[in-house]
Amino acid sequence: MAAAIETQKLTKSYKSKQLGIVNVVDNLDLYVEEGEIFGFLGPNGAGKTTTIKMLLGIIYPTSGEGYVLGKEIGDMDVHKIISYLPERPYYYEHMTGTELLRFYDSLFGNNDPAKVQRLLERVNLAADATKTISQYSKGMQQRVGLAQSLLNDPKLLFLDEPTGGLDPIAHTEIRDLILNFREEGRTVFISSHELSEVERICDRVAIIHRGVIRRQGKLTELLKGGRVEVEAEGITKEFEDSIKIEGAIISLKDGRLIVDMPEEADVNSLLDGIRSSKGSVTSVIPRRKRLEDLFVETVRDSSRVSMAEGGVEA
Amino acid sequence: MKQIIAIAGTTIGEAIRRKVLLVILLVGLVFLIVAPSLGALSARSETTILRATMLGIIQLTSAVIAIVLTVYMIPNEIERRTIYTILSKPVQRWQFLLGKYLGAVGALALMMLFMTIVMIAVFTGMQNGDFGRAVTLAQATMMFFVQMSLLAAVAVCFSTFVTPLVNFFLSGGIYLAGSLFAPMFDSLSKQQNTSQFSKTVTWAMTTFLPNFSYYNVQNPLINPSSTIQNPMSHYLFATGYGLMYISLLLFIGHYMFDHREV
Ligand SMILES: Nc1ncnc2c1ncn2[C@@H]1O[C@H](COP(=O)(O)OP(=O)(O)OP(=O)(O)O)[C@@H](O)[C@H]1O
Ligand SMILES: [Mg+2]
Repeated sequence: MAAAIETQKLTKSYKSKQLGIVNVVDNLDLYVEEGEIFGFLGPNGAGKTTTIKMLLGIIYPTSGEGYVLGKEIGDMDVHKIISYLPERPYYYEHMTGTELLRFYDSLFGNNDPAKVQRLLERVNLAADATKTISQYSKGMQQRVGLAQSLLNDPKLLFLDEPTGGLDPIAHTEIRDLILNFREEGRTVFISSHELSEVERICDRVAIIHRGVIRRQGKLTELLKGGRVEVEAEGITKEFEDSIKIEGAIISLKDGRLIVDMPEEADVNSLLDGIRSSKGSVTSVIPRRKRLEDLFVETVRDSSRVSMAEGGVEA
Repeated sequence: MKQIIAIAGTTIGEAIRRKVLLVILLVGLVFLIVAPSLGALSARSETTILRATMLGIIQLTSAVIAIVLTVYMIPNEIERRTIYTILSKPVQRWQFLLGKYLGAVGALALMMLFMTIVMIAVFTGMQNGDFGRAVTLAQATMMFFVQMSLLAAVAVCFSTFVTPLVNFFLSGGIYLAGSLFAPMFDSLSKQQNTSQFSKTVTWAMTTFLPNFSYYNVQNPLINPSSTIQNPMSHYLFATGYGLMYISLLLFIGHYMFDHREV
């Protein structure tokens, strides 16, 4: 598969009064495959929006390189096949939904009222198409923004916090729309801190903190290392001693056995053993690693590292 | 091209809804309408003074509109982040800037046209239907329009790198200096006993400041040195001069805009 986005040591620095020159995005090596939903995660101020703006040529990198759909960033031709939904977007308030979409359509040199109508229907705004943007709720504005991002039938979409400030129903609506994008073969780059959302829809993620990528990879691989807890009753001491599972924490009290083991361990043969020794399994609870755990863990680790580094400097 | 027209169109749509501009326009219109009753004028000079007054009102109102309209235009797009969606489309920064400028000029044209129509109506009413004389007034407002387009270009150019408030005074100052001082410097440099220093200053000012006084065709009282011999060729010259200066300013504006963060 080809790369939809690739950056090499992409860096953006700003001068700050207290800290001197700060690398807001620091030697970023990002790799997004075509056709995937990529989650770009990080706490507030991590550098997510800054990265997206660089990839779109809205701000200029201090150093490093970036390629979007095979073209160097800033190439206008690429802008015909990508789209962008900014965070907390704001649109010309005096325009109606239809007018706004027709305006954006004309920026591609197009004039296709039927397409605009179709897109309004797709995002459930057909009934409000003649209201002005100033009369739209936040959710409606976000949806008109999504419609706007589909005008050019893009290969790659940049969505900066697409569900920011929306209610749970709007969340699901937008999630479904994004999942459709993948089915249509589009690449979606989502910046977000709605972790449960991202966990449900993203194929791969990168976690960025203070401008540096701390983790990047397939979600299924990053979330390895969950555990399974098996509980059983009527278990003898002999059976307990016979359990040989690496990394397991085993406890036995009054015939009640609890085995807390890595998820990749052989759960089935443990269950078989329990049954053949006349014990009864009372529960099997998988404790999957959540993206939230990974995120908190990653951010905490990197804070610790940078504090330690700070300590050395001081 | 479609992009530029679309951006210009949206800019006009937004401008004619801006309350502050409409209030300024309304004040201008009120003054135009009450102008005839302002002075107890002697019959002979009545027409001349009334013409000068009305044109002055239009000029002042238009200048304020031109500046207020343009100083916020680009900064607002950036502050509200509307520019991000636009620049993520296949729109070059120069196309954006040019579209914005043309939109401002278009909105100015509409508002000035409206004032001119009201002025002609009031004037024709005063002169018992002397429509022909009223039409010569419209020619003056055409020149004002070129002047305001130039002023808008000054403000758009500055708006790419200074804040709106600074820009307001900067553009306003340049407009005043370019209207009043250019002819003054002109006559100064013709005098024999002027020092080399003032000659240099004069040269610099007249070279770098746009000469707004070319367009003040309405009032030879204020501006006796620039009596116009051949109106038609003067209009053509002034328009060409304006277009040249506007191009230069937009070019500088684009350079600054292209090299900054938005
Ligand atoms: N123009 C600027 N000048 C100086 N610093 C800036 C500028 N733009 C952004 N920053 C800084 O860069 C850092 C990253 O900002 P960015 O907007 O990319 O964060 P983010 O990851 O998108 O955060 P959020 O989740 O809050 O949207 C912040 O610390 C911010 O203060
Ligand atoms: Mg952000």
